[in-house]
Amino acid sequence: MTTTETAELRRRVQLWFGPQHPGITGNMSVQAWLEGDTLTAGVTHVGYLHRGFEKLMERRRYIQSFPIVCRICVPEPDTNEYLLAAGLDELSGLAAEVPERGRWIRTLVLEMSRLQMNLMTLGGHIGAMAMGAAPNWLIAMRDFVLDRFEELTGGRIYHMFITYGGVRRDLPEGFAERMEADLEAIEEKLPLVDNVIFDSSVFRKRAIGVGVVPEEWVDEMSLSGPIVRAMGIPRDVRKDFPYEKYPELDFEVVTTTGSDIYARAWVRRQEIAQSIDLIRQILRKMPEGPYCAKLPNMLTWTIPPGQTYVRAEATRGEMGYYVVTDGSDKVRRVHVRAPSYVHGVALLERMIPGTNIADLAPLMVSFQVCPPEMER
Amino acid sequence: MMHILDEIRERFGAEWQNEQRPDLLQIGVQAKTIVPLLTWLKAHTPFVQLTHLSAVDWIEDGEFQLTYLLTDPKAHVSLMVCTRIDREQAEAESIHALWPQAVTYEQEINEMFGIHFPGSPRQGVPFILEGWNDIPPMRRDFDTVAYMNSHHPSRPGREHTDPRAYIGKVFGERGYLHDDD
Amino acid sequence: MDNKPKSTLPVLVEPPKGAQPHGPLGHGYFLGETKRQQALPMRESLAKIKNWFRANSLWVMAYGTGCGGIELRPLTTARFDFERFGMAMRPTPRQSNVIIISGYLAVKSLKRVIRAYEQMPSPKWVVGLGSCTINGGMYWDSYNTINRLDLYVPVDIYIAGCMPRPEALLAGFGELMKMIKRGEANGWNHYLENFDWYKENQKKVINDWNMPDYNW
Repeated sequence: MTTTETAELRRRVQLWFGPQHPGITGNMSVQAWLEGDTLTAGVTHVGYLHRGFEKLMERRRYIQSFPIVCRICVPEPDTNEYLLAAGLDELSGLAAEVPERGRWIRTLVLEMSRLQMNLMTLGGHIGAMAMGAAPNWLIAMRDFVLDRFEELTGGRIYHMFITYGGVRRDLPEGFAERMEADLEAIEEKLPLVDNVIFDSSVFRKRAIGVGVVPEEWVDEMSLSGPIVRAMGIPRDVRKDFPYEKYPELDFEVVTTTGSDIYARAWVRRQEIAQSIDLIRQILRKMPEGPYCAKLPNMLTWTIPPGQTYVRAEATRGEMGYYVVTDGSDKVRRVHVRAPSYVHGVALLERMIPGTNIADLAPLMVSFQVCPPEMER
Repeated sequence: MMHILDEIRERFGAEWQNEQRPDLLQIGVQAKTIVPLLTWLKAHTPFVQLTHLSAVDWIEDGEFQLTYLLTDPKAHVSLMVCTRIDREQAEAESIHALWPQAVTYEQEINEMFGIHFPGSPRQGVPFILEGWNDIPPMRRDFDTVAYMNSHHPSRPGREHTDPRAYIGKVFGERGYLHDDD
Repeated sequence: MDNKPKSTLPVLVEPPKGAQPHGPLGHGYFLGETKRQQALPMRESLAKIKNWFRANSLWVMAYGTGCGGIELRPLTTARFDFERFGMAMRPTPRQSNVIIISGYLAVKSLKRVIRAYEQMPSPKWVVGLGSCTINGGMYWDSYNTINRLDLYVPVDIYIAGCMPRPEALLAGFGELMKMIKRGEANGWNHYLENFDWYKENQKKVINDWNMPDYNW
């Protein structure tokens, strides 16, 4: 072996980033090749969390599928519940019967879910750079929202709250006041977090200009969510394909420029403020009335054949469900269009060449790669 | 937006068309027209984004359905293009040259349904499963309970009851029906 | 519809009965040793002290194998704060002695879990978190998740629930600490004593076995 070949071999190191790695965003792995400390190529490996949900749903009645779908994205389960409910509502014709209050409670739950997920991801942004204070505060703030979830639905993480025809339960007495108190507690501490994250010279040095996604890739790869909004493109499913009660709420799509990690963190920070505002609006506008339509017998209910695609804005981007029914009492096929599916495989693999190894974890957090929704 | 469906029918021929929602159009076409149709849609219409690619197993017809979902990001309308292919010789043309992220979708469909996309870069490379030696699991004739029973032993004492059968056993045959059903 | 599991289960060999019973104090083997050391009075008292130390500094490997990983974050941060009990998250298996199997385990994950478990230095303990580790939970009919964790790695304590709250986790760890102090948490010895049995089970479910066979 010549000296040049040895030198060449020595320059290339294969590195497995994950599945057991404190910087990885869940149970997945990236097989990367290194030259010095620069990554030259990378392949995303998923499948460590595959449970075969789409297969299991073919064996379960419609109502039995709801405990399954919420586990598709662990940190943000409500989008999944809503999407399956919306798909079944549309195909069965129940959509016209969902009462107003039910729709408002659905919107409330979706927005609370976005709030807690954004709080956690913002903590992840700075946690991936090994700074511990802000994640501690942000995850404690998230727990305020989880407490309200527990009060409303009975579960901290998995709620199984939105079903076809509306929601499972009405708001408890005094919920609005307690929610308001929690929102105020969160708002009070947010300036501290800003101080630690956005004014921190370490974060600014490592985030500004790092991980810039070119604008041409948006349509080419159908990117969505904060990645697109950080480029200054106001694209948001809540505005573009309005669902539930979002058309009646007053909000602007958050955008900024830069398209780097800092810009994406900034979009998330602004969306936290937006979610807090939206939750207040929803609680103010909440009408009285029934919260659920009269449901058919869940053991014998069948849905006529049809297929549809419903979508909602998760914090990571556009989440969609492709639902096919065939007239039986079980769903024929549900296929989840997960935002991480594009962001975590195609986009990440395209972004990796040229990235410094130390920036890989912050990059993955800023794409908010959520492995369980990539493999279901 | 109905005119886009009419235009597709004139240019490429359509088996059926449907307006599921004002923002979701559906059309069924022949399998051989898929790639020309999608190329034309991407080049000459505002439907430039590939949002989703999925497959459905219609085992009773002996066919797989492939569903391509395109989105017009300006006018906020989606177009669902469906086609059927033979289940025995499951093969479809790859669209990875049009949209790079289609590689992942095609890789997953190849693994989960056994549909082959010739020319797509990662065909046959395991994506989700590892060391899988049965028929592709998302096919309807794959029995997940039988596979579980023969591969993943469970702790003795667990009982499985179908809710409908169980309620019928406890409350009588029609016990699971409400009075007004 | 009859969903009862048919009797097509592969007959799994129970762990051989002739193996030495666990000592009451849980001092384990050294590598290469084949027989349990005789418990001398001096060793007994020493083991008691060692177990007390061990119980009060549990280092947990940071590997969220399933959905339960999401509740580890509140547990480790300000609100539930498990560092009060001398516990800490460690980034690598070489520095940790507790592995939390946080929920269902896909076959692909199981392989990595076994590898990580074998890299951990003794004494080491396994915490099975959630119903799916006990008996498959809601994924009992899935083709890709295992149903019984204790066939593949020795589980010292299960925390039931789907998913267990951080308080339940704290209670579970408290119980684990008591077990260690009493010398009852001996899964790592069980793994060594029944190494062949565990390996046989693991190889039954992992089809492409390309890991090194450690010569323990």
